[in-house]
Amino acid sequence: MTQPVLEVDNLHVAFPSRQGRKYPWSPMNAVRALNGVSFDLTKGQTLGIVGESGCGKSTLIRAIAGLNKPTQGSVKLNGADVDYDNRRDVLNLRKSIQMIFQDPVASLNPRMTIRDIVAEPLTAFRTDLNNTTRLEKVRNMLDRVGIAERNFNRYPHEFSGGQCQRIGIARALVVEPSILLCDEPVSALDVSIQAQVVNLLQELQRDMDLSLIFVAHDLGVVRHISDDILVLYMGSMMEKAAGKTLVSAPQHPYTQALLSAVPVPDPNVQVQSQVLEGDLPSPLNLPVGCVFESRCPKRASICTTEKPVSQDIKQSQVACHFAAN
Amino acid sequence: MLNYSLRRLAFAIPTIFALVIFAFYLMRLAPGGPFTSEKPLPPAVMANVLERYGMDEPLYVQLFTYIKNILCCFDFGPSFSQKDRSVNQIIASGFPVTLTYGFWSAVFVLICGIPLGVIAALRHNSFWDYLMTGLAIFSQIFPNFVLAPIMVLLFTLSWGLLPGGGWNGGQWQYIVMPAIGLGTSYMAGVARLTRGSMLEVLNSPFIRTARAKGLPERTIIWRHALKPALLPTLTYMGPVFVYMITGSVFIDVFFSTGGIGQDFIDGAYSRDYSVLLGLAIIYCVLTLSINLVLDLLYAWIDPKVRDAL
Repeated sequence: MTQPVLEVDNLHVAFPSRQGRKYPWSPMNAVRALNGVSFDLTKGQTLGIVGESGCGKSTLIRAIAGLNKPTQGSVKLNGADVDYDNRRDVLNLRKSIQMIFQDPVASLNPRMTIRDIVAEPLTAFRTDLNNTTRLEKVRNMLDRVGIAERNFNRYPHEFSGGQCQRIGIARALVVEPSILLCDEPVSALDVSIQAQVVNLLQELQRDMDLSLIFVAHDLGVVRHISDDILVLYMGSMMEKAAGKTLVSAPQHPYTQALLSAVPVPDPNVQVQSQVLEGDLPSPLNLPVGCVFESRCPKRASICTTEKPVSQDIKQSQVACHFAAN
Repeated sequence: MLNYSLRRLAFAIPTIFALVIFAFYLMRLAPGGPFTSEKPLPPAVMANVLERYGMDEPLYVQLFTYIKNILCCFDFGPSFSQKDRSVNQIIASGFPVTLTYGFWSAVFVLICGIPLGVIAALRHNSFWDYLMTGLAIFSQIFPNFVLAPIMVLLFTLSWGLLPGGGWNGGQWQYIVMPAIGLGTSYMAGVARLTRGSMLEVLNSPFIRTARAKGLPERTIIWRHALKPALLPTLTYMGPVFVYMITGSVFIDVFFSTGGIGQDFIDGAYSRDYSVLLGLAIIYCVLTLSINLVLDLLYAWIDPKVRDAL
């Protein structure tokens, strides 16, 4: 058994909030964005994370990158614990873990040429490089993502969204990380461009032996790119399985509902999409039992009183009292 | 960029002409004149005086002569109320004074206001932030006609550190209090503005990217956040800077600096047409040139603007 590059164990993230307090001097409330998420990431593999808005997808990968501090739990990189309180540790983390973001244009500093944007991580981490070798690396990287050299002195606003995302990818990969965290990298792009960017990511993954964590709310894209898929709801793991298994035999009622909502590209197929009723619970005041209880079609009395633990059912990890039947 | 500057200069000239014509006619519309007093002059004397200053001619002829004198010999005419002094002399004696303490005041505003705002933004919602915001609001509403006497009371009368007024050729002791008195409320404004825009920039996606790249905080602030955060401050400082270097009437009067603020007031009381017009032209030229400088600065900061030039 090879050692996973990234082991996330029981990760919690909570944000202090002023909301819902009786008096201004009452203690801060906690918005519990992430509640005990665990997974392993194998080298060269892709983990897809899906879930609706506000389920904690971005919080999860921001926490792994050290942009939000985890309140509980541990993250191991190549078997070594990451200490998020240690600033130097977090900065060093970036040599191995880089991120790309949802809004490609806004994510690039509008006042820097793309050459400088891509060169900057190298100036921060690879002080051993001289100017020539650094620019050589920048040129190679930008060339890999398909940006022509005559455009290197241009500014981000002169590029399209898809091009900006390529530049973002070049910027992230120029330091040769082992893990790339993708925070909804294609949701702001046209479908045709989405495919280009996803294919580029897969190509680079193969060439650079990268591990990807790919966050999206679009199951279709995630299904295409991922080896494993993790379904999040209100900061809790609902189900985790190999991509094929999850799509062909979803165990959790939430996964089933998500899958039924994926549009089918065939006008003759009548889709019976399952519509969820009910309200989301408040992250300020999470229910004692299952977080999905308020909207679950299979709910029973046990769901309000007892939190389901993740169990292995067939080839999936499922957190549901009724997953077995 | 040179092309742009030249185009802007070409636009400036008609602007100045329009201002001169407008101000010229407006002032003549105001009742009274430089030679009306409580005891009217005998008509014969009055006619002589008017002829001496060329005021017996029709207005458009006077305007034409005025503009012609400025264009050919840079002569802004004689003062109507201060005998034997020309407008050129008045401005030459007063303007360097206001320029000096106004400049130092602007320096004070920037080197105190910007760091205060940046620090407050970096320590958002902490004790330092609240302290800074509180102080800024306090000094912004604290008028200089209250601040100036308090400063004189403390620094001159109690501790004897600084002279209470005068100019004395512009020694630094004479500059400190006028500069601070003029600048304090603007300093507070700059601090608050910088804090706000810095907070906005720090929350923007490209700063998140910079953090995710793994840059040290120092680099993020200096290289990525500061320039865009200073744009609103620049916009604010443009007109304020013109106001400062043309002097504050109150500061000139209270500290007896001999700056042109005093001349402005005297000129307005005595309907000294030529002094007022001269000062208005200075004000106009300064505003136009500072705005041009600001626009070039924007272009330096923001490549999007650069393309548009």
